[in-house]
Amino acid sequence: MGSANLKMLNRYHVIFLAQSIMLGTGILSLPQKLSAMGYTEWFMPILFGIVATLTLWPIVWLCSKYPNEHLFRINEILLGKVLGKVFNSLFVIQFIIFSAGIISNYMHLIQSTALPEQTITLPVLCFLLLLIYIVSGGIKSIARFCMMSFFITIGMFYFTRWAIEKGEVSHLLPLLNFSGKEFFNAFKEGYLSILGYELIVFYFPYIIDQKKAFRHSLIGIWISIFLCFFTTVVSVIYYSEWQLKNVEFSVLNLFKAGEFTFVERIDIIGITLWVFLILSTVTAYVWCAKLGVDSLFKKKNKYELYVIAAIIFLIIRMPFSREFQDKLFTASNYIGYMLIIWPIFLSMIYVVRKKKVQQ
Amino acid sequence: MNRKLLGISLLLLVLLVGCSRKELKVPLEDIGMVGIMAFDYIDENQMKLTVAIPQYALEAQQKTQVFSVATDLVSNGIVEMEKLSDKKIVFNQLRVVLVNEDFARKGEVRKVIQHLYRNAEVGNKVLIAVAKDNAEAILKGDYPDKPNINIYINDLLEPSINTAFNPNTNIHDFMYTITNPVTDTIIPYIEKRDDKIEINGVAVFKGNQMHEVIKPEEALIVQALLGRKSLAPLHLDLHEGHGEEKLMIDLIESSIKMQSNKSIKSPKLIINLKIKGTLSEYKGEREYELNTVESISHLEKDINKQLEVDITKFLDKLKNMQVDPSGLSEKFRMYYHGTWTTKQTREVIGKLKTEVHVETSIISTGTLK
Repeated sequence: MGSANLKMLNRYHVIFLAQSIMLGTGILSLPQKLSAMGYTEWFMPILFGIVATLTLWPIVWLCSKYPNEHLFRINEILLGKVLGKVFNSLFVIQFIIFSAGIISNYMHLIQSTALPEQTITLPVLCFLLLLIYIVSGGIKSIARFCMMSFFITIGMFYFTRWAIEKGEVSHLLPLLNFSGKEFFNAFKEGYLSILGYELIVFYFPYIIDQKKAFRHSLIGIWISIFLCFFTTVVSVIYYSEWQLKNVEFSVLNLFKAGEFTFVERIDIIGITLWVFLILSTVTAYVWCAKLGVDSLFKKKNKYELYVIAAIIFLIIRMPFSREFQDKLFTASNYIGYMLIIWPIFLSMIYVVRKKKVQQ
Repeated sequence: MNRKLLGISLLLLVLLVGCSRKELKVPLEDIGMVGIMAFDYIDENQMKLTVAIPQYALEAQQKTQVFSVATDLVSNGIVEMEKLSDKKIVFNQLRVVLVNEDFARKGEVRKVIQHLYRNAEVGNKVLIAVAKDNAEAILKGDYPDKPNINIYINDLLEPSINTAFNPNTNIHDFMYTITNPVTDTIIPYIEKRDDKIEINGVAVFKGNQMHEVIKPEEALIVQALLGRKSLAPLHLDLHEGHGEEKLMIDLIESSIKMQSNKSIKSPKLIINLKIKGTLSEYKGEREYELNTVESISHLEKDINKQLEVDITKFLDKLKNMQVDPSGLSEKFRMYYHGTWTTKQTREVIGKLKTEVHVETSIISTGTLK
């Protein structure tokens, strides 16, 4: 790793990697996650955007100190070989469970809306095959796929037209009508939806123009933030507070408001197109997991990607109860926050051990 | 080697198909797509569920299959119905839900509709109506000049130019209004008359139960206050010093502005309604005078006064009933910090003072002088 000829991501790749990894299943249920705040939730995505911008800064700063290394290597350098490897393997496990969580979440949604009379085994298998295909092309092919999925799916925002027509704009008022506890709950639940931008610590060494990587990532982040903001505002004006709290996939029901003379169920079209967004998110996480496995073993292994895919399949179809699965995925979601704090923690270690590690 | 492998796997692919399980999916001919569901009140725990399914078999005498069972749960009723039916019953094509008046007044309408709202098969655009007396009778009725009851009721309840008073409540609207503390639900009210069905008025809910039926003219005011852009032909009886006058205005455009004083203790609302339309018919004393601009503008003023009186009268009625179908209290919630509850809506509506200003402009009176 780390040789100069690996640099292959141009600025558009960086923008859309940051953008597409953020938008996954999260945005589907974002308005519901924020619903503790009631109607006032609509400005929260903007706040998330600001927080994301602030946390991206230490991440990129740390990366810029090691322009040719990704996080798994940085871990080993800063924490020592043994401790670094322990944490790396934890990261790998986290990524695998996190990806499995996203896929399983989406597949259950598909099952309950589009394919009510089928088991999800076959769709999951097809999904994983595609996943392997994209990931084996490396980070560049993922970035290209991200660009493609952005332009394919962006048209879906047209489907919210009817909801906007029907909505009551006055729901946006009064401003800032919430208590501290409600705010905290909404923040905790909702911020998960915009995770994903922190993966730059893994693909940073592949970026050509590393000096501008921060700016390009920011553009990507704010595109996503704007889309989240838009969905949240539309949901707020279209739903009552009860509906915001109780309709799990708000976006799906926004699509249901639509009417074409030739299509009855626009929500099905929307939800099946969503697979692009899910794929672009999951591929990035699986690629990171693969990178982690690479760094754990000295010998290069050809089959690790297949093994990862098999593990994901087992986690989704494992014979555990739905309750256990849910707990597992929620836990991995919260560990997801760790990845944002981790670079800050590493930066501190870097500052403390500056002289030692710079040799 | 590779070719051998390919050959074997091809062979396996062909042969192993025989081991696959028989397809469990139901073919299209065996699916009964429910078009209308009707709920009738029996007692506190029981309701009568009736469904109408279009019949496509050519040999059948009737064009619609109607099944009816008494049940406590909706899905349980469907299971019961499958025993009677030759087809598998699905809801993908559900268009209309009818509830009878008793059920709306005493039953658990909200639970039933919420069940359908949860169901992913059912779209959100299913229309809802309250039926006078017996909803089952409407489905079982005979309409010789109509192709099919499914199409008839759906078309009747769909938005149309001359029934703008009809709120066209669908499942989303119902759930939205019934869960929203600032509004009360309104649903069109239909009645069967011989071999016709008529939209007779609009049922107003208070909380989760039906409260009152209002007349189409009043329902039109609700629609105007809700901000509907194009209202139906407006029929007016004027009593403004020219004897009894009757006139009909085709409304082209209406717009409404409301301003609240933001106070919950002594709520006051200023309502400005602007309507634009053509005078399509007039009957009364001034029939032969209405050809100058002055006389028209005089008539406009009379219409304004009459409408102001009508609207104020209706708002007073709502005030006495303490219901708010047009979401007037939203104008107060907008400025209120804290959680808004239904109780506050009742209080605001009960104390509400209104000031109504109507501005009519008649664009034309037709091409004849």
